[in-house]
Amino acid sequence: MIAKALLLTIIIPLFSGVIMFFLPEKLRRIKESLLVFSSLASLLLAIFLFQQKLTFTLPWISPGLELSFRLYQFSSFMLLATAFFGFFIALYSVVFMRGRNFLSQFYGYFLLAIAFSNGVFLSDNLLVLFFFWEAFLLLLFGMIAVGNKEAFKTATKAFIIVGITDLCMMLGIALTGHLSGTMAISRMNLPLNNGVTNLAFILLMIGAISKGGAMPFHSWIPDAATDAPLPFMSFVPAALEKLLGIYFLTRISLDMFQMTTKSGVSILLMTVGAITIILAVLMALIQKDYKRLLSYHAVSQVGYMILGIGTAVPAGIVGGLFHMINNALYKSGLFLSAGSVEKQVGTTNLEKLGGLAKKMPVTFTCFLITAVAISGVWPFNGFFSKELVYEGAIERGWIFYFIAVLGSFFTAASFLKLGHAAFLGKLSPENAKTKEACFSMLIPMIVIALVCLIFGVFNQLPLNHLIQPILGIRLAGHNFSGFPASIWMVVVTFAVLFLAVANHLFGVKIKGSGLHALDHIRYAPFMAKIYDLAEKRFFDPYNWGLGIVNIISRISLGIDKAVNWLSDGLSVWLANGLSLGIRRLHTGNYSIYLAWSLVGMLVIFGVLVIL
Amino acid sequence: MNYSTLVLGIIFIPVIGAFCLPWVAKFSGRLRNILSFVFILSSFILSLKLIPFVLSGKTILIQQPFALGLNFTLLADNLAVFMACISSLISAVIVLYSFSYVSHYENQNEYYCMVTLFLGSMMGLVFSANLILMYIFWEITAITSWRLIGFFRDKPYVLKADKAFLVTVFGSLIMLIGFISIYQQTGSFDLPVIKEVLKTQGNISNLVVALILVGILSKSATLPFHTWLPDAGVAPSPVTALLHAAVLVKIGVYVYARIFIVNITPDVLWHTLLPLIAGLSAIVSAGAALIETDLKRIIAYSTISQIGFIFFGLAIGNEIAVLGALLFILMHGLAKAGLFLCAGIVEQNTKTKDITKLGGLISTMPFTAIAFLACAFSVMGIPPFGGFFSKYLVFSGALASGRLWVVLIFLIGAFLTIIYLFRVFNMVFLGKVNVAGKEASPVMVASVVSLALLSLAAGFLIYYPYKFAQGAVGQMLGVIK
Repeated sequence: MIAKALLLTIIIPLFSGVIMFFLPEKLRRIKESLLVFSSLASLLLAIFLFQQKLTFTLPWISPGLELSFRLYQFSSFMLLATAFFGFFIALYSVVFMRGRNFLSQFYGYFLLAIAFSNGVFLSDNLLVLFFFWEAFLLLLFGMIAVGNKEAFKTATKAFIIVGITDLCMMLGIALTGHLSGTMAISRMNLPLNNGVTNLAFILLMIGAISKGGAMPFHSWIPDAATDAPLPFMSFVPAALEKLLGIYFLTRISLDMFQMTTKSGVSILLMTVGAITIILAVLMALIQKDYKRLLSYHAVSQVGYMILGIGTAVPAGIVGGLFHMINNALYKSGLFLSAGSVEKQVGTTNLEKLGGLAKKMPVTFTCFLITAVAISGVWPFNGFFSKELVYEGAIERGWIFYFIAVLGSFFTAASFLKLGHAAFLGKLSPENAKTKEACFSMLIPMIVIALVCLIFGVFNQLPLNHLIQPILGIRLAGHNFSGFPASIWMVVVTFAVLFLAVANHLFGVKIKGSGLHALDHIRYAPFMAKIYDLAEKRFFDPYNWGLGIVNIISRISLGIDKAVNWLSDGLSVWLANGLSLGIRRLHTGNYSIYLAWSLVGMLVIFGVLVIL
Repeated sequence: MNYSTLVLGIIFIPVIGAFCLPWVAKFSGRLRNILSFVFILSSFILSLKLIPFVLSGKTILIQQPFALGLNFTLLADNLAVFMACISSLISAVIVLYSFSYVSHYENQNEYYCMVTLFLGSMMGLVFSANLILMYIFWEITAITSWRLIGFFRDKPYVLKADKAFLVTVFGSLIMLIGFISIYQQTGSFDLPVIKEVLKTQGNISNLVVALILVGILSKSATLPFHTWLPDAGVAPSPVTALLHAAVLVKIGVYVYARIFIVNITPDVLWHTLLPLIAGLSAIVSAGAALIETDLKRIIAYSTISQIGFIFFGLAIGNEIAVLGALLFILMHGLAKAGLFLCAGIVEQNTKTKDITKLGGLISTMPFTAIAFLACAFSVMGIPPFGGFFSKYLVFSGALASGRLWVVLIFLIGAFLTIIYLFRVFNMVFLGKVNVAGKEASPVMVASVVSLALLSLAAGFLIYYPYKFAQGAVGQMLGVIK
């Protein structure tokens, strides 16, 4: 009976999502209630199933390829997180999306997204997992494409990037299945001791970090921030994709492969993490749009998680996982605040905002809490998870620690800028009549902000009950809850935050406005050139990829044309030449024909004689 | 009904029926259309009836000896019935679509006659177990496709049809030399006999394999004999769907499986060489598809590229890869036929095939657009569409055989597939409306939507095609399940 409830977590959102597509646009109320109630049902189910251990298998393709599901510590936690975000963002979307087109589609995709992520979290068969994983890709395309008029271009970009990395992952799955002789995830445990297993790991890793939005697979996220509907940003890139990507990354590095501190892939992961942290946050600094700025942080923060898990030491892994849930919380909270501003003011362009704190006090408070949480201020949740990641990073090399801390400096700096530009300063006259957002949009923001606070102040709660049990015996007596162990690291963190504030005040002083508080970095001698190029999308890996593809296709077309010449050019030429030659021989002169016949007879006789 | 009669019915109902069609048309054009559909559908239904029998592991052998080894030998095993089901199903949908599509053109008698004859000879080819019989049916398909590609009588169109005919017949004549060499060596054209003889006598030479491969590669439009296929895009869309996507190009693949997997084991050399040729073919054509601007040519290049994947799976030759390749034949047939038929709708309603001149059609033809996208997803190999499983299995089989580097070539091919299909979709259906067009007639829309749904169903209900293909592979490789 309970095992069947496991399936319900997929079936309920799946069916209500499919029904949603067929509801006519007029029945808005019914659609809204369907969205809210089925996401509520998912939440209740997730609470009911929380901390249970179940397995459930249905026949699928053939023996060895069954629809096998497994609920255990980790997956029940992920299920709960998905359902939590699903419900509250659904509540928010209902108001936010009013008056927009493609409601059926958006809500339908939304519910399917819950269904497919639950499918990923529950699958115990690698192929089944991938089946749900890639089905999610279709939703990604759909959800972005229903945004503004040009959104389909971004949707295509997202689809191509994620689709290509997913193909790598598919290859990785085939390879892993072949190497371990089974497709059951819970029975895999490969040592990373030769080239092929490392390749398999890297292929799977590409899929995982691309889903998480790490560099170099990130570049669709900032574009989606401006094109896609906002609840999508808050739900998918901020929350679900991080959960999916990091969940899978954890599974491959802890369960499916034996990653240790000695593995090369550990270094690779940490490098990817560190680069992602620093480059993305540097891009976030210079953004002039609320949502775009947040989207770069959505990229940057995933770097901390990858860095944490990549360290392969307990503190780092726990920190990475804790950061995953924390980031999902404050990042979706931040996006919701952006949505609230967008809905009430009509723009998220920071140049047109300012002074909204008085007009939208609740939104401002929620923003404030989530912003200090992401900046890693004590006693909010981001502080504790970052400290754990630092602790793991310093064990593996000071450079990683240094980059992570530097990233925090810029994070804090860019949020000071954002908060200052949007909520403080002078209120522009056009925005004088702005009101606070409505109740059902505020509720999700308030709840999320509260959870950020609770997960910080009472960090034993998530750490002891949600995260540390995932690692089980691997943790061996460690307990990472409570105040960070290393005091000097805390001191460094505080010093960095203090520097960020000082930097902000300095910037404000020379430029005179919050928005331009970071211009001294933007226009610093060397940085200015780089930033100019970055703004022209010179560094977008997607464009580079397309450039390479363009070269391949030009060469291909050349080969194709050359081959075509064989049939259209050469063979015609040969045939013409041959027939011309033979025609010359046929002059109509009998004596010549007679001579030919004689020669022919002689040849035949000759052959017969020789034989 | 006797099972042998069933097999004969599958082949001869459309073959003989085809020649009755022009005569029927004297009374009613409508009746001719319906009869054509009925003949093809009856092949499909009779093939379905064979499934339980062949799945139980039995085979049907029909033999009628003639002089010089030109025996009339038919063999219905799992593989043959699998192929027959796919070809006749897709052909039936395509003929349904033709009702509306060709209704405003001349030469409809010829069209229906040739389509039905084509399917009949395809069925004959699928079931024949004698090399010469196979060759005869092979050439009938060449002749019918020559007429079908040249459906429009303008000079350039006719020239393209000639090209397709000349290239494939050039290939098949070379293949015929290969067949005769086999006869010299083994004394028979009958595949079961050849198999037995070769067991004791050793292998056939690489030269003979190469000769036969020329025929196979030219029919299946693989590098370097592929260029006739994009050129044949001048044909009416149902024809391109029939020839390029679903049926004709699968002949070569099928014959490869029939000869070189079931009966003759080629030298190991080919297990390395053929994947490379296929891989090159897959990348070159995918690259060309990215630059082309003619809608049908792009899809044709895509076919060449995907055929590469099928050859890859077959050439690897282990159980998983062959299984993947067989499923690929099914999934690709469904999805690609859908793409061509969608292209036909676009072409007919906007009067252009140039994708740079199209755009924004999703607003006026939503069903076509969605069907196109669904079929494209299947070709890309995105779950839950069927194409995913076939692509996955081919890769998986290749990895199991340890050919990692070739797999990476195909991975690039798969990347390019995603990119060019999206390029087409975006340029035709999204963005600014350049040429207005309306949705096609219900029967045409119904056929493309049904192909899209079949692609989706093939993914969700993968169990059934998988079981069927697995049975076929078991029989082919002699693995007893």
